This record gives sequence, structure tokens and C-alpha cells, in this order.
Amino acid sequence: MRKEPGSRYYVEGIEVPETPEPRSEQEQWTQTEYVGKPRPRVDAYERVSGSAVYPSDTYLPRMLYGAILRCPHPHAVVKGVDTSEAEKMPGVRTVISAFTPDDRATQPHSELIHTTLFSTRCRYEGETVAAVAAETPYQAWDAVRAIQVDYDVLPFVSDERRALDPDAPKVHDEGNQVAPTDTYERGDVAQGFAEADVVLEEIYRAECEIHTPMELHGCVAKWDGDSLTVWESTQGVYNIQAGLAGALGLPLSKVRVVGHYMGGGFGSKLQAGKYTIIAALLAKKAARPVKLTLTREETYLAVGNRPASNMRLKAGVKQDGTLTALEYVGSGASGGYQAGGTSLLDWLVRDLYTCPNVRTELTNIYVNAGPARPMRGPGHPQCAWALDQMMDALAEAIGMDPVELRLKNVPTVSQARGGSPYTTTGLKQCLEEGAAAFRWKETRAAIAREGNTNHLRRGVGMAGGLWAGGAGGPPSTVIIKLFSDGSVNLNMGASDIGTGTKTVMAMVAAEELSVDPDAIQIEHADTGTTQFATASGGSKTVPTEAPAVRAAALDVKRQLLDLAAGEMGVEASGLTLKDGKVVSIDDPSQEREITALRSLRRRRSITGVGYRGPNPQGKAVNPFAAQFCEVEVNTRTGEVKILRFLAAHDSGRVMNRLTYQNQVFGGITMGIGLAMTEARVLDGDQTGKMVNKNWHDYKLPTALDVPADMTCVPIELEDPEANSVGAKGLGEPATIPTAAAVANAVYHATGVRITNTPITPMRLAQALADARKGE
Amino acid sequence: MLPKFSYVRATSLDEAVRLLSSDDGARVCAGGSDLLGCLRDQVFECSRVVSLTGIDGLRGIARTRDGGVRIGALTTIADVAADPTINQSYPGLAQAAGELASPQLRNQGTIGGNICQKPRCWYYRGDFDCLRKGGTTCHAVAGESEFHCILGGAGCFVVHPSDTAPALVALQATVRIAGRRGTRSVPMEEFYVLPNQDVRRETVLEPHEIVTEIVLPRPAAGMRSSYHKVRARGAWDFALAGVALALQFSGNRVTAGRVVLSGAAPTPWRSREAEEAIIGKQLDAATAAAAGRAAMEDAVPLRRNGYKIPLFQGVIEEALLAIGRA
Ligand SMILES: Cc1cc2nc3c(=O)[nH]c(=O)nc-3n(C[C@H](O)[C@H](O)[C@H](O)COP(=O)(O)OP(=O)(O)OC[C@H]3O[C@@H](n4cnc5c(N)ncnc54)[C@H](O)[C@@H]3O)c2cc1C
Repeated sequence: MRKEPGSRYYVEGIEVPETPEPRSEQEQWTQTEYVGKPRPRVDAYERVSGSAVYPSDTYLPRMLYGAILRCPHPHAVVKGVDTSEAEKMPGVRTVISAFTPDDRATQPHSELIHTTLFSTRCRYEGETVAAVAAETPYQAWDAVRAIQVDYDVLPFVSDERRALDPDAPKVHDEGNQVAPTDTYERGDVAQGFAEADVVLEEIYRAECEIHTPMELHGCVAKWDGDSLTVWESTQGVYNIQAGLAGALGLPLSKVRVVGHYMGGGFGSKLQAGKYTIIAALLAKKAARPVKLTLTREETYLAVGNRPASNMRLKAGVKQDGTLTALEYVGSGASGGYQAGGTSLLDWLVRDLYTCPNVRTELTNIYVNAGPARPMRGPGHPQCAWALDQMMDALAEAIGMDPVELRLKNVPTVSQARGGSPYTTTGLKQCLEEGAAAFRWKETRAAIAREGNTNHLRRGVGMAGGLWAGGAGGPPSTVIIKLFSDGSVNLNMGASDIGTGTKTVMAMVAAEELSVDPDAIQIEHADTGTTQFATASGGSKTVPTEAPAVRAAALDVKRQLLDLAAGEMGVEASGLTLKDGKVVSIDDPSQEREITALRSLRRRRSITGVGYRGPNPQGKAVNPFAAQFCEVEVNTRTGEVKILRFLAAHDSGRVMNRLTYQNQVFGGITMGIGLAMTEARVLDGDQTGKMVNKNWHDYKLPTALDVPADMTCVPIELEDPEANSVGAKGLGEPATIPTAAAVANAVYHATGVRITNTPITPMRLAQALADARKGE
Repeated sequence: MLPKFSYVRATSLDEAVRLLSSDDGARVCAGGSDLLGCLRDQVFECSRVVSLTGIDGLRGIARTRDGGVRIGALTTIADVAADPTINQSYPGLAQAAGELASPQLRNQGTIGGNICQKPRCWYYRGDFDCLRKGGTTCHAVAGESEFHCILGGAGCFVVHPSDTAPALVALQATVRIAGRRGTRSVPMEEFYVLPNQDVRRETVLEPHEIVTEIVLPRPAAGMRSSYHKVRARGAWDFALAGVALALQFSGNRVTAGRVVLSGAAPTPWRSREAEEAIIGKQLDAATAAAAGRAAMEDAVPLRRNGYKIPLFQGVIEEALLAIGRA
């Protein structure tokens, strides 16, 4: 049984309390004062000035520094660890390994595989072997280097395409296939291909990418008797709390995790790392706070990746553009342990375009390399790389415009969910309005007219997309306090992972309470003091938290109007809030300053509680997208210049025009990384070690790789059914179609189709030379 | 993490030479942008870091008496890129400096450090057994060789990382060197050492020697120079394939000059084949393409860098056609 998409991130079907009464008073906003307007971030000054305190900026009195010894081999048995030299070194306070007592905590790698904290059989380069805490980071690293490890180096396999060969070394003794191949089927593909006028087949591959957030993974751990506080760079403090409590056998209540600011995660900071637990153990043993920040190199090896994906796609289409069949075989690299090597890798094939006959197969494979983790839209950008390049090829084969072909196949229901209707689907509008704003037809006509025979060739490309998550859902609890001076305190557990969550939530509360967002102080991401929230991931933070914030604000508003009604001698239902005043709806001359309400002054505060209500029954809530780009290719050198990008997104209501645009431009930038520059390189034929584990050799796109001309076209459909604010997720959809759009534009410019990411000058210069030879 | 070392800031050249001579593990530090990375990655041992930044007179760009230019070793890359004289008389060098790395690195890195920097081979820099580090193998041969050389390799297959060096070779620059036995001058073309001469070093510098300045001769009449570079991303990256040209024209005919490749070989690589293909000719499409092919005649790719042959042909063609039009 395959899990429902997005179930990693939140829980469906649980009982949730609701305030106010389900859906009462929660009409969709029609006119807004704050929501939807472009508003700079509430913490912009702190972030830009450097005064924001991130976990990596946290220094506690008497704090020690931790460092981890990691296995340098992709596959090895640890026969012994000699820490005697290290223990004697200056400044060293404690050393732990698999061979020291009391350090046998286990850590969940996934629901099914628990591993010990320190491995005696290391299945990837970078597994933890021992750890040190010392007075300075330099002393800690000197001590790590002084630890002697006796390794029995084993044969390894790094390429998932070879890992299922009978003679391939075994990552796990049971074999290298993580689980039986997962299949999905609807209709009859053989029949579908028989009905097609054109059938095409192609093999695609997306290379492994690393998340590389700006802030390194790490934490500071401090004990207070038997209770533990951890400051961690994380997407979800409650996930870290659960990971720590589980591994250390502590009650949840004794573990406090704080994560106010964090410098990016992209899916790699959804859970507690081994390093988190190691920091806590070192701190316990040394009886001192310990800071453990990984090095950049460690983060390349051991804290997740977007797995390499292999995709074979066969597609059938009729001359009129009707898709008749899609057959898709995918495989991916789980890494050394069970992880989502193929998670959601077929979702777009199943759900994006109307097709009655679909068959997919996914095989998740162990290799001796770091385990995968969700990365911004797991499975989707890779699947789009295959599917939307295929759509382009089909369009060409039947002589149809690529946008037309997609428009011909826009579904109104979620085919992969047995035909559940979408609350809203803006795919058609994304395609149409995006193409119009991009001047798609005109640009294609102009390129055709000019002949494109120079060595600098222009091309345009596009791709569609949807994200299997993006609905959000319970549980989430938010508390809002209104003070007697009219200022407001918003308390929520959610992390702001750089997307502007705090700003959006302040705008939501401000909207209902009619106060300036700047009057709202936000307390968040602290398991000790803020309310339960799921991790910020899966593009669900706005659709999960904003309705809970709105509900809490409405709860405050109801109580406040009740108080005012008594004092003003008016029915509460006839009152509303406006600019810090309670105003009669019928007679605006009847008004009272909130600060003038006697009963509020006596009470000092009003507290409102909001819960996230359930999602609509039997309906799918998903965001949709279409992206368009124009490139110029130098056919002598294979250099690609992306001239412009346009992204049309249906993510429901735009909550803040600025942070919306940030997500879209950031998503495009990351997609350009997949398309053009990024790939993990393993020395697979010799040592199995990663050769490009730094920011120079692993090439992230720079400002010069991203066009200055980027346009964001929100398709704002009203979606009252989705949730009480009508917003859907945006962060992940923004990066899903990007790489495929680039590949299609390069093809349009050159007639050369690059099916393996990234499209570097290396790959393209060779492909263009091969094409010239073939001419 | 950086290993332990002592740090001394010399205040004179003599003192610097003495500090280098008295400790086998001493290393020169200019901007430190390459050295510190090497130390952090433990590419080589270093017990003493001798900083040159306290020495007067090693910085700045000045005209020489015979109409050339002298660039102090500590002049930053950014200053070289922005200098009006260099832009006017040696545009190829200004372009190479301006295309290199990133703004931060150009502000920090010096021209002396740039020509003396260590190779960027990921096996050399990483935690691998490596011939150049005194090990027994070159992993590039049977490994991940997409960034390695196609010319001049022997045992070791690094490429020289500098962008300014090929431009300086093309412009016939000379390096001034101070050391225990006084000063000497070496033409840039003879400054570098191929692996078949000595796989453990990149330049002719002795451990106690310091580059003090680079001298460019007065540009000949009709001289044009340029630098073209292809890299895997728009900035903050070394050349996959680059070409420095310094060509003398009479009318639109090339009469003399040099074609020097970056990203091709363990040293800046002068392509006499390409030079032969263009000297005496006008740079039309056929000549440019022929020069590109000639430059690659002896190229021997490794497993992963076969793309460099069409890429070099393309960038040489592009550079020649552009300079011919200039
Ligand atoms: C991410 C990254 C990208 C880069 N991209 C490029 C690029 O695209 N093109 C390019 O050309 N370079 C590139 N570089 C290299 C950069 O230009 C050099 O690091 C810089 O020029 C070195 O100058 P420095 O003064 O900092 O040298 P240092 O780091 O101080 O020294 C470098 C080496 O030269 C020796 N040295 C320095 N000065 C002297 C001297 N006067 N006499 C004798 N020996 C000396 C040192 O001992 C050391 O071994 C890049 C570097 C990085 C880190």
C-alpha cells in the first residue's frame, strides 16, 4: 500500500477541537486591509542587520564544542575505536563511541529502521563513529583526528543502476532493494498505446542534489537536572523534541526545543539528526552545555539529499492531442538506509495531465551513500523533468503547440485519487494567462521568423506542474492574547524557515483584529512555551497555520465585542473592530477605543484559542503551476544563458505579495540549479567517496546564472472550501516545473534534447558536437 | 578546521626570505584565499605562515621605463581588473582578472597568489591518496575526470587553475623573484613545471623564494589581446576551457602572437599548433575553425573529459573570430 502523498508532513483523519464553531463567522475575506498586500517581513531588520540570533549564534556560559568522527569509507565494519590518545588531549572533556558504555541510544532513520547512534557497520561515507566535546572547536577537532579506528573496509556500490546486479555488494544483507517494487495502474496501457497515433519512449535521469542550506545543521544542548533544552536549526521544533525524547528515553515534557531563527532547510531539517542526540549525550556526560555544528563537508555527506532518479517514460498521443497512455518505470537511490529514494517520483505522471491509461513502477534501492531526505517537492521536479520533456516531444511529433497540448489534457479531478474533485484547479489559467503574459506565441513566431541559424540560438520552453501536498491540515493550535493597551501577542509553534511565516501570520491576525501588524509580537517555535504545530514542510505552513491564527483572532474578537457590547449597551452582533476601536456597524458614530474599555482594563487581557479545522471531505486541495522561460544557447561552447522566466501559480489566495514572490523566485533559482549546475559526484569506480563536498565543487547557481528578468503571475482563484483563508501551498510548486522548462527551451533553441541533468556546457558542448557529426 | 601553525607578518623582503629559509614547513601567504583552503583541507603540512602584507612596495601598478607595466605581487585581482592602463594596453589580462572567481575573492586575492595557487583537482584537495601529494596513484585516471587535463598530463592530470597566468604567458610577461641568493627573473612561459618534470611542484619557485612583481613588456604595435572563458556556472568558478590571445595584426592579418589555453593542461598551455594555423592569415571562419582543430590535435581525453575537445574548438573559434573583428 502506498502512503497518501504528504502524509510525512501531517496527519489526516484525527479528531480536532475547533474554535470558533466550525466554519461559523469564517466567511472568506472579500476586501482586506492587510492580507494580500506587499508587506516587508516583520523581522527583516533583525535578519539583515545580523542581530537575529540563530542557533549557530548561540553561546552559553561554560559551553563546550562537539565534533564527530565520521567513517571515511562508503562501506566498512568498525572493529575497534581507540579513544585513549584523544581523551588525554588538552581541553577534551568527553569522548563517546559505540565502544563506550551508556551511549547505545538508537535513532530512527525512518519508521522501520532504527540504528544505533554510532555505527559498527558503516553503510555510507560519513556515518558517525565517535564524538568528542572539548573547550574549543579546534581542540575537539584535534581530538577527533587522534582517535584510532580499526576499519574492515568492505566492497561497496554507489550507483543504484548497478546495485541490483546479482554480483553487486550488499548494502544490507537482505539485498539492495528496499521494498518490493511499487506499482500503480489505471485503465489499460496496452490498449492506450494501440489507440495512439504517436508513441514515444525516452530514458531520463536527474542527478542527486544536496540541500545545502546557508546555515549549517547543528544545535546547542543544555541540561538542567533531568530536563533538556536544545536550540536547533530546524523546520519543526516538535519533531526534534520527539526525536530526542524517543532516543534518550525522556518524557516529551522534559525536552524543550527552541528554533526561533533558522537559516534554511529545504526538507533536510525536518527531523532530529544523530548530531542532535550526540550533542545531548555529550552535554549530559560532560555536565556542560555543548554546541555541535556540522562542517559544510559533513552536511554534504550525512544529512540528506534529493536522490538520483532514473525514469523511463513511454507515452502515447492521438493526432488531436489526446493522451492515450503513460507507462513509467522509475528507480531511485535510498542511500545506506531506508529513506524516500522514490517518494512521489511518479505523482505527476499519475495526476498532472488527463490520461485514462497509466501504469507506473517505482523501485527504491540501497546504495553506499548518504540516505535521501525530502527536498523541496520530493519526486516532483524529477518527474516533471521526464514528463514535461516528453509532453514537449509529443507536441512536436503531432505538430501542436506545447501549451495547446497541455491545455488539451487539463484534468478537473485528481485521477490518482480515484477521481476526487479538486476544490479549485487553476492549471488551465496558469497555462493560458502565463502564456499570454510571457508572449509565448509571439516569441515562438519571432524565433521561427528570424530563422535561428546564428551560433547564438534563442529558444523558449515551458512546463506545467502540481504539488501532491499543499493543502495543510490539522493539528495546529494557536493562542492570541490581546492586551488592554490594544497590542497583541501571537503564540504558535510553527517555525519560520525563511518563507515569511511570521509576517503572514501577523497579517492574518491584524486583519481580524484591525490592528497594525507591527503591534503584534510573535512567540513561536519553542516546545516549552508555544503551542503544538507540525514541522514547516510540504508547502503546508500557510494553509495549516493561517486558518488557526484566524480562528484564534476571531475568538479574541468575539470576546472583545462581548465585553464592549455590555459597556456600550449594544448587541455584540452589531459591533465590529476598526483601527483599534469598537464600532457599531449601523451607526459608526457609536464607537469606543479598545483602550477605553473598563472591563478590559480590569481583566488586562483577552486570550483566544484557534485550532486548524479538518480539510474538506472527498476533495483534493492542490496547488498548480506553469512556468515559461527563454534561453540563448551558444552552440560553439554549449553555454546557456537564461534570459527570462515567468511563473504562473495557482496557490489560492496571495497572503503577502512580497513573500509570495520570494518563494516563486527562490523556487525558480533552485530549479535552475537542478537544470543547469548541481550534481553530487561520487568516485564510484574507485573509492566510493564523494569528491565535490564543498560549495566550490558542488555548484549552486549564482546570481549570474539566474535571470534578472523574472515575473511572478499569481492566479488567485477563490477557494472557500480549502480552508478558512483560501490559500494553498506555494514553496514547493515554485520549483517543480523549472528544470523541465529550461530543458525544453534548450531543445527549442538547438534541437538537442538533454535528458540527464544538469545541462552544463560540458554536456551540451558534447551533445551539440555529436549532433553536428550526425548531420 | 585549520591545523596548528605559527603566523608571522614580515616587514621586509629579507625578513620574509629568512623566515621561509629557516623553517621547512613555512609557506608564503598573500591574500590567503587559496592558502587557507589548502591548510583547512590538509593538502600539505604547514608549520609557519609568513604573511607578505606588511612589506612595503609589493603593491601597485606602475609604468616601466621602456613603456611596459610592472604589477606588484600583492596587487589585488580587483585592482588589476580595474586598472585603466591594463585595460587599455593589455585588455586580455584585465578580462582574465575580471572573469575570475567572485567579487569577494578578487578583492582579497592577489596577482602573485593567483599565479602561485595550487591545483583545484578534487582528488588533490580531498582526502585521497594522490601522486602530487606524495602518494602512489592519480585517481583521475580511472575516476571522475570531468575537470582534468587533455594536454600535458603525465602521471598527474590536474589543470592549472589560474585565469591570469595564461593571459600573462600570452602577453610575454616576466616574473621577478626574490630569494636566498638574491633576485632573478623568469619568463612566465618558463615559470610552470609539468608533471613529467616534477609531479610535486607547479612552479620553478624554491621554498624560500617570493614572487615580487610581474613585468609586462610594452605592447607591440598592432597588438590585440583577449581572454575567453567557459565555466560550469556564471561566477565563482574556474575555467572548463579558456583561451588567452595576444596577437599582432597588420591590417586584418595576424603577423605574430600567442594562443594560450586555460583548463587544458597542468600549466597554462601554449598552443603552437593554433598559432601556426593563424599566423599570416585573416581570422575568417575557416581559419578560426582550423585553429580550434589544430589546438586539439594532440589532445588525449580521460574517461570523463572528452567534451573538452569540442568545447576548446568552440571557444578558440569564438575568441579568434571576436578578436579578428575587434
Ligand atoms: C571558490 C574559489 C573560486 C576561485 N575561482 C578562480 C577562478 O575562476 N580563476 C582563478 O584564476 N582563480 C580562482 N580562484 C583562486 C583565487 O583567485 C586565488 O585564491 C587567489 O588569486 C590567490 O591569491 P591570494 O593572494 O589569496 O593567495 P594566497 O592564498 O595567499 O596564496 C596562494 C598560494 O601562492 C603562494 N603565494 C602567494 N603569494 C606569493 C608570492 N608573492 N610569492 C610566492 N608564493 C606566493 C602561497 O604560498 C600559496 O601557496 C578561486 C578561489 C576560490 C576559493
